[in-house]
Amino acid sequence: MREILSIHVGQCGNQIADRFWRLILREHGLGPDGMPTGKGMTSNNSSMEVFFNKVRDGKYVPRAVLVDLEPGVIARIEGGDMSQLFDESSIVRKIPGAANNWARGYHKEGERVIDQIMNVIDAAVEKTKSLQGFLVTHSIGGGSGSGLGSLILERLRAAYPRKKIFTFSVAPSRLISDSAVEPYNAILTLQRIKDNADAAVVLDNEALFSIARGKLNRNPNYMDLNHIVALIMSSVTASLRFPGKLNTDLGEFVTNLVPFPGNHFLTASFAPMRAPGQEGQVRINFPDLARETFDEANFTAAIDWANGVYLSACALFRGDVRAKEAEENMALIRKELNFASYVPTGIKLGYAETAPEGFASSGLALVNHTGISAVFERLVTQFDIMFDNHAYTHWYEESGVSRDMMAQARETVAQLAQSYRDAS
Amino acid sequence: MNSSIESLIYSASRSVEEARRAAYRDPSRIGELVEHISVLADLRQKEGDFRKAESLYREALYRVQDVRKPDPELTLGIHSLLAYLYDRWGRSEQATEYYEKALKIATERGMQNTDKVATIKNNLAMIYKSMKDTEKAERYYHEALEEFQRLDGDNSSRVASVFNNLGVLYYANMDVERAQEMHERALKIRRDLPDGDMDPADLSQTFLNLGAVYKATGDFRMAEECVDRAKRIRSGMNGYVTRPRRAASLLIDRTA
Repeated sequence: MREILSIHVGQCGNQIADRFWRLILREHGLGPDGMPTGKGMTSNNSSMEVFFNKVRDGKYVPRAVLVDLEPGVIARIEGGDMSQLFDESSIVRKIPGAANNWARGYHKEGERVIDQIMNVIDAAVEKTKSLQGFLVTHSIGGGSGSGLGSLILERLRAAYPRKKIFTFSVAPSRLISDSAVEPYNAILTLQRIKDNADAAVVLDNEALFSIARGKLNRNPNYMDLNHIVALIMSSVTASLRFPGKLNTDLGEFVTNLVPFPGNHFLTASFAPMRAPGQEGQVRINFPDLARETFDEANFTAAIDWANGVYLSACALFRGDVRAKEAEENMALIRKELNFASYVPTGIKLGYAETAPEGFASSGLALVNHTGISAVFERLVTQFDIMFDNHAYTHWYEESGVSRDMMAQARETVAQLAQSYRDAS
Repeated sequence: MNSSIESLIYSASRSVEEARRAAYRDPSRIGELVEHISVLADLRQKEGDFRKAESLYREALYRVQDVRKPDPELTLGIHSLLAYLYDRWGRSEQATEYYEKALKIATERGMQNTDKVATIKNNLAMIYKSMKDTEKAERYYHEALEEFQRLDGDNSSRVASVFNNLGVLYYANMDVERAQEMHERALKIRRDLPDGDMDPADLSQTFLNLGAVYKATGDFRMAEECVDRAKRIRSGMNGYVTRPRRAASLLIDRTA
């Protein structure tokens, strides 16, 4: 077994959990209570254990830890049709919230709850035979997902130095902004992701918003954005869960995608992007699928494509896909992509026989592109404007985060952006 | 790892999990959860997994404060167990921090005159001794000594142990005269203890410590005699292995 433990932190992290687990349940032929429905693809897949722990009455319990400093989102999950799904011993809800303040999530409130979270994680890890790693979903702009998320990443790395930590980190956007201090929270969190994670898929709300608006033909809501994230997370792990000719695990992704230490910030794309319920309506041929998968407008972060190069890329196709056709098409696409001159390899390919529910076939691209520096530079600029005017920093100082700490994080992220620019 | 501790840990983990579910549904059951967590933490410590033991004790510490009326004895106990863990882990600063916090709780809650507090003071003194803070070590040993004397009378094994510890402290600081006085007082008590209370290993250790003191004073004949007595007691123990004394309830320093 190569199990994966998902850790969902904060409001955004748990909203993603809601969409993600719904999708995973359907993919594995399970009902919202974790019992097999007899429908779906259970018979096809041999690796239920990756995401689920089977308990005595035949129920499959997600290997998931849900954490929040305010009860709202988790309470909604528990009050909905998945009320019987999660193990109550794996849910950590604490009040009061982090009030959008990284420092409260990291220090004040975080300190009171981090050991409980680690104990719950340890207990979940003890139920695995050979844990592959962790998926962490959170936003880096809020208080809980960013501050407490950072603390969890630090403790996780210290406790499990050899396990892969893969984050799905939602970056704040100017279009959909909840709070003025998001750039502070984001910069402080990015520093911890750089130091403690093996790979981070940057999910820029701005980019997700425009994908959703373009592909769904209506004004998207957070559920639509989270559905895109769920499809990406599902595909990243698909070849571990479903049979396929080329298996790609988290470790292989990391080896192929991260050419320099610390430069592990990725962006992803899922195709074909359709509104929920409309997936099967358009049957897409492979060349179109491959093109859409690598369409710049389809990636989840606002990458500066024009001023950067590809450092690496992985593609995973699911469903009705012929390997020969995939290889030929991807070789063509590879020629069109602007790779760094010192990267001789092609695009690493993986296949899984089972497509996400409702799709005949699908494509996932995970890429490391130096244009991601634009995301960091945008946040650093927003950070500087406030920081130089001492705006809002007192909230952080009151909760144990000094201006020096903030400046250090800013420096780390600015250097990260520069290292990406230098690699171009 | 030995399989019996493995199975104990397995069942303690399941109990914690069940207690977590119960406390999640009904916060009034946090007290039960804290007790289960403490049991698991103790096993983790015995297993040598200090990181997990620390997380468990620290969770217990915060959980116990979530209760409307925290049980002071339980709160003090967890502080002291966490301090003991840090001590075993070699993290002296944290160990003293949590023992000091435990003492503060005891004072605030009127529990300062108990054997738990005396034990904490003895343990704390040992750590200060290892940190070369002789002044604090001596003060806490004396406070522990007074408390044990008040609780047990002058002639108990606990009183003898603190005399022994004070002797070791003075010896380490080259105060041979006072070291000798302390070890002689420990010896007198230990010799006169009723059979059931007398631990031959303790007695032999006192002879060894005293032997070291005599050697330092230049009285080699007495030193040799003490060492001989210690050897004779040990040989009479027939391979008897003393029970481990570094228990959370009472830490006694027997090293010379």
